[in-house]
Amino acid sequence: MTDYNKPIPDPDPYTSGPFWEGAKEGKLMLPRCNDCNRVHWYPRILCPFCYSRSISWFEASGEGTLYSFAVQQRAFAPGWAEEGPYVTCFIDLNEGDRMFGVLLDVDVSKPEDIFAKIGSKVSIEFVKANDDVHVPYWKLAS
Amino acid sequence: MTNPSMAAAIVGAAESDEIGFALSEKGTTNTQLHIEAISNVCKQVGISPSEIEGVFSAGFTPQIAEYLHIRPKYIDGTAVGGSSFELHVHHALAAIAAGVIDVALVSHGESGRSARKNQGRGTGGRGGGDPWAPGAAFSGGPYGGWGAPFNYAHAMTRHLHQWGSTKEDFAQIAVSARDWATLNPRAVMHSKETDPNGGPITVQDVLDSRLIAWPLSLLDVCLVTDHGGAVLIVSAEKAHSFKTPPVWIAGAGESMGHWDMLEMDDLTLTSAVNSGKTAYQMAGMGPGEMELGMIYDSFTVTVGITVEALGLAPRGGFMELFEGGKSGPGGSGMPINTNGGGLSFSHSGMYGMMLLVEAYRQLSGTAEDGVNGIAGKQTSAQTAIVNGTGGSLSTTGTLVLVADQ
Repeated sequence: MTDYNKPIPDPDPYTSGPFWEGAKEGKLMLPRCNDCNRVHWYPRILCPFCYSRSISWFEASGEGTLYSFAVQQRAFAPGWAEEGPYVTCFIDLNEGDRMFGVLLDVDVSKPEDIFAKIGSKVSIEFVKANDDVHVPYWKLAS
Repeated sequence: MTNPSMAAAIVGAAESDEIGFALSEKGTTNTQLHIEAISNVCKQVGISPSEIEGVFSAGFTPQIAEYLHIRPKYIDGTAVGGSSFELHVHHALAAIAAGVIDVALVSHGESGRSARKNQGRGTGGRGGGDPWAPGAAFSGGPYGGWGAPFNYAHAMTRHLHQWGSTKEDFAQIAVSARDWATLNPRAVMHSKETDPNGGPITVQDVLDSRLIAWPLSLLDVCLVTDHGGAVLIVSAEKAHSFKTPPVWIAGAGESMGHWDMLEMDDLTLTSAVNSGKTAYQMAGMGPGEMELGMIYDSFTVTVGITVEALGLAPRGGFMELFEGGKSGPGGSGMPINTNGGGLSFSHSGMYGMMLLVEAYRQLSGTAEDGVNGIAGKQTSAQTAIVNGTGGSLSTTGTLVLVADQ
C-alpha cells in the first residue's frame, strides 16, 4: 500500500504503456520516431513532426533543465489542497521536447531563488502512487 | 482568392441588462444573458431577431436559435475559449463575403460568477485544463491544476527570465485598465460605490495584492463575473440600412499554437503572431496604423505577450506601451482596453465578446454615452486592433476594425 493522497493519472496503455512500465522501475521512457529520429512528448500513436506511425520507446537520461515554474499558492485537488504552496515546472528534456511536473525540495518562500535556477539541471524522480502508477517529479541537480 | 476585407461591418453591439458580481445573488443563467444581449442589440440596430440568418456562439448556438425561433442558414458553435468571439467575426465575414448570408449574430452569455455560487447553472472558461485532452495524464491534472492562473503564471515567469521584464512592468497594465474602469460606470471596479475594492490603484497595490500563483498576484488576474454581449454583422450592401453606424471589418485572422500549455514552444509568444499577420495583410495595414488596442486581458501577462506578438511593441518590450500611463485615459500612447478590461470591467470566463462591444463603441463614437462611459472615455481612434486569446494562451483571433468614413 501507499499513502499517495493526490490525483493519480489514468494511464492509457495503448499510447503510453511503456512510460508507465518504465516508471515502476524508476526509468524515464520516451517515444522516438523511427523515421525522423525526433523525440516527442506527450506520447502519441504518430510522430507530430513527420507523421510517421513508426514509434519506438527508449530509456532516456531522466535529466533536463528548468524552463519555467510557478509557485502555486492555492490548490483544490485532494492532497494538493493540504500541501500548502508548491512549485510546478516545465522541464526541457535532454533528449528533446518538454515535460510538466512538480519541482520538489525547493523553498517556496523564496521564488527569487528558484527564478535564479531557470536553465539549471534537473533530474526525474518517480513517486509510487499505486502498484500500477508511479508519478514523475523533478529535483534540481545538487 | 478574393480578399474579404470590408465585405461586412458590425452595426451594433450591446450587453445583457446587468453585468458584474451582483447578478450572482439572483443566479443568472447563460441563456438569460444571451437573450438579454440579443434583444438589446436588435433594438439598438432596429432589426428583428427573425431577420438573423447566421448564428455564432461559443457552443450555445442551437439553444439560442431555438429560443428566438430563428431558422438559421448558417450555424457556428466554435468554442475555443475566450477568443471564440473574434473567430466568430472572422467566420461571419467569410460567410457574408461568400454570399451565403447577409445578417449574422455573434452572441455570448455566461454566468461565470453565479456558476461558482450555484453549481451547475453556468459554465466556466476553458483555461483551466481539459481532462479529455490527449496529454491530460501528463499535464496539470495530476499536479493539482485548477484553473487559468495555475498555467499562465509559468508564462509570466518565463517572460521575466527571457526578456528581463519586471513585475512592476506587468503591474502597469493593471493600473491602466483600472484607470479606464473609473470612466466606465458599468465596470465592476469603477469606484468604491460599485465595489469596496474599486477605484484607482497603483503599481504598488498590484505588487502588494496577495499571491495567487507566483509571479501572479491577485490584481494581475481578471475578475470572474456574469455577463452577456452580442454584436450584429451585416453585408456591405446593408451596412447603412440601420439606425446605427457601421464599423468595418478590414482584417481578420485566427490561429492556434497548442491547446495544452505543455505543447507551447515559447511561453512568451502566442499564435497572435500568425492571426495578427493574417489580419494585417487582409486589411492592408500594419501595427503602426492601429489607434486603439482591445487586447484580451485574462492576466496582465496575456496583454504583455500579445502586444508583442502583434508587433505593437518589440519582443520583450511591451512595457513601452504602458509606462507612465501612456495607454490610459489622456495618455500619450495608444489607448488600450478602454472599457477597463477583464481585469477591472467584467470577465465572465470567456471575455472576448466584450472586446468587440467596446471596439464598436469607440469606433462608432458612442463610448461615453453616460451609461457605458463618462467624459474622457471616448478616444479619437479611427482604427482598432482587437485580439482574443483563449485556453492557456492557446487560440487567438485578431481583427482590424475601422470607423465608417
